[in-house]
Amino acid sequence: MVAGPFRRAAFGAVVAGAMVPASAGADELGDLKQALETAKQQMQEMEAAHRRQIEALEGRVRAVEQRSNAAANAAAAQPPAHAAKDHRHGSYSIGGLDLDLGVTADLAAGGSSVPNSILSGLQAADHDPNKNGFRLKSLEWIASGTVDPYFDAQATLALQIDAEGETKLELEEAFATTRGLPYGLQAKAGMYFTEFGRANTQHSHEWAFVDQSFVATRLLGPDGLRSPGARLSWLTPLPFFSEITVGVQNSDGETVFGFLSEENEELLTPAGGGEEEEEEEGGDKRQIRNLGDLLYSARWLNGFDLSDTVSMNIGFSGAVGPNDTDANADTFLLGSDIYIKWQPVSNERGFPFVSLQAEGILREFEFRGEDGDEDLEDYGFYTQALWGFRPGWVAGLRFGYADANDQDRFNGPFRDERTRLSPNITWYPSENSLLRLQYNRDWFDFDEDAGGDEDTADTIWVQFIWSLGAHAAHGF
Amino acid sequence: MRRSFLALCLAVLAGWPGIAAARVDIVATTTDLAAIARAVGGDDVTAVSLTSGAADPHFAAAKPSMIRRVFDADLLLSVGAELEVGWLPAVLPAARNPRVLPGRLGHLDLSTAVVLRDAPTGPVSRAMGHVHAAGNPHYWLDPRNGQLIAAAIAARLELMDPDNAAGYRSRLAAFTADLDQRIPVWRDKLAPLAGQPVIAYHESLVYLAAAFGFEIVDEVEPLPGVAPTAAHLSGLVATIRDRGVRLLIMEPFYERRSAAFLEDKTGIRAVVIPQSVGALPDVTTYPGLFDAIVAALAETGAI
Repeated sequence: MVAGPFRRAAFGAVVAGAMVPASAGADELGDLKQALETAKQQMQEMEAAHRRQIEALEGRVRAVEQRSNAAANAAAAQPPAHAAKDHRHGSYSIGGLDLDLGVTADLAAGGSSVPNSILSGLQAADHDPNKNGFRLKSLEWIASGTVDPYFDAQATLALQIDAEGETKLELEEAFATTRGLPYGLQAKAGMYFTEFGRANTQHSHEWAFVDQSFVATRLLGPDGLRSPGARLSWLTPLPFFSEITVGVQNSDGETVFGFLSEENEELLTPAGGGEEEEEEEGGDKRQIRNLGDLLYSARWLNGFDLSDTVSMNIGFSGAVGPNDTDANADTFLLGSDIYIKWQPVSNERGFPFVSLQAEGILREFEFRGEDGDEDLEDYGFYTQALWGFRPGWVAGLRFGYADANDQDRFNGPFRDERTRLSPNITWYPSENSLLRLQYNRDWFDFDEDAGGDEDTADTIWVQFIWSLGAHAAHGF
Repeated sequence: MRRSFLALCLAVLAGWPGIAAARVDIVATTTDLAAIARAVGGDDVTAVSLTSGAADPHFAAAKPSMIRRVFDADLLLSVGAELEVGWLPAVLPAARNPRVLPGRLGHLDLSTAVVLRDAPTGPVSRAMGHVHAAGNPHYWLDPRNGQLIAAAIAARLELMDPDNAAGYRSRLAAFTADLDQRIPVWRDKLAPLAGQPVIAYHESLVYLAAAFGFEIVDEVEPLPGVAPTAAHLSGLVATIRDRGVRLLIMEPFYERRSAAFLEDKTGIRAVVIPQSVGALPDVTTYPGLFDAIVAALAETGAI
């Protein structure tokens, strides 16, 4: 404390002055005045010393600020040597590792005018609510990160409690994508959702409705079209966003419905509700023997801004692969999809907005059986509109229709003529949780075809989704 | 004929990289960064923003046109500190442009060039609302930070394009000197605001408050990014009366009902300021942004 000696001196002078006896004469008055002057002078010196000290400190602060700014600028000028990490939503570094973890729970409950036996046919997707009462549709565990300067990777495991109350674990996706290929190329390898149409690559919690569109369930499979494989995608140098993706994947397994999937029997359910005596026709007649037995897919996706407030995507998809009815039988898929979104430039938390989405899919399944060949054609489309009418609130309406040929021979919940209308409303308390109420009106034939008497169903669902940890940013 | 076609092909091939190298193609996530990049880069760069100045940069949609723009970019400027966390991570991998990935020369996160305020010291929970773990990302609203942003951009451009380094340095010096002259003028105009308590809509004005010496006592949002509730608004009425708050400052993209309610109940004056270049049609430069902010604040009867 620099001021210490000054303060003691001034204090001493004042005290000395006060202790002088009052009876002292003019000399003493002069002495007192002298002492007071000395005290004042010392006080001023003290103040000046303080001021100098403050100024010196201020100068040092400025110097340090300038240095740190210069350092910050130098740091900004040089790219960090190791920081090769994308910023994701709420990244959590575990022991300094580049690993984002997220958990998303998707719970639904509801009731229908039809019993569970029919409801399970109407809600046939793996992550649909499919019984009266509660259902944990999925509990997704997502790990993602940057592997090294060359690859990003992501793995998604989904747990669910199925209609029988059994806990089921499935590997939804596990793939790596390249970070640094030239010429707009990007490769991906692993287990992944085939880039076919718009809805197929979305996980269940990303759907804007409680359930998967039954059109996608019937034509791409109850758990989406996905399989181990690899694909190459090219962002073309056209002046607008235009991306071409070509892929090859395994054609066998549970999740390549319509190809070598074990679930094709759903497609080959005999008409009239008979027992599946034709089981051998959907039998194990084919395995992957050569490159021609794999599943090939292609997609062309284009994106435009129609104005500052309206953007759209148009996509065309195709896939071809073997099916298991004969050594040379193939299955073809064709699809087209469109997505348009309006959002004012000056919006509040992304609201209001209006989006329209439509997707049509056609499948040709070359059925080769002992009692005659058929080309089974199944087709359908859905269209959905979403209106974010105020922050956190979205109203939705979805319409779906699907039909198929040769229903005299093969029919059932995957082939009957079907129409569904689904209005819903969703409330997002934050971007990490949502509550949804949905009504489904179904018109269907499969129950009457099998001897029952139901041809319509009214169902109410509520849904609750919450998400912990890292949460990937949403694409367009 | 064939020879002239060949010559044309060669010319295109030879000219292509030449054209590409002529100007550094800068893509910024916000209009403010693009405006500063234009000021520092001059004719040696082109700079566009992925978002509009009239939009809330937290909530942009990852449009396909953004992917296309990032695909071509030589240099990507981001605000960082999680401001673009809802959309940039969806754009970057899709744009498959290795030059602008984090960690590369073509990626500049400007939050590394300034000292961020309000970095949470304790554990961060989502129960606190939308808290940015690195600190408050609205730092461009302090003109002194604009100087640091410009210096960082100029330094990076000198590295990427050394042939034009002298131009970047001289334009940076002019930009910095211009702000040095303007800042005291702005401060004089806003002198009556110094020390005054103010309500903000979002936790976005802490840097502006630091630059011009006013005090933000509360926000209209109960938690960052959470819509105002009736309970919080009635609490604000009490705060405004207790503290004698006369000014509510907010960005143009927020709803006005809450502000109208508070104005009605307390007589507080709500002022909408442009928070970014382009938020108003005539705000086209970074110094112009503060001219407009200062004009909007100085016009109010509250100060």
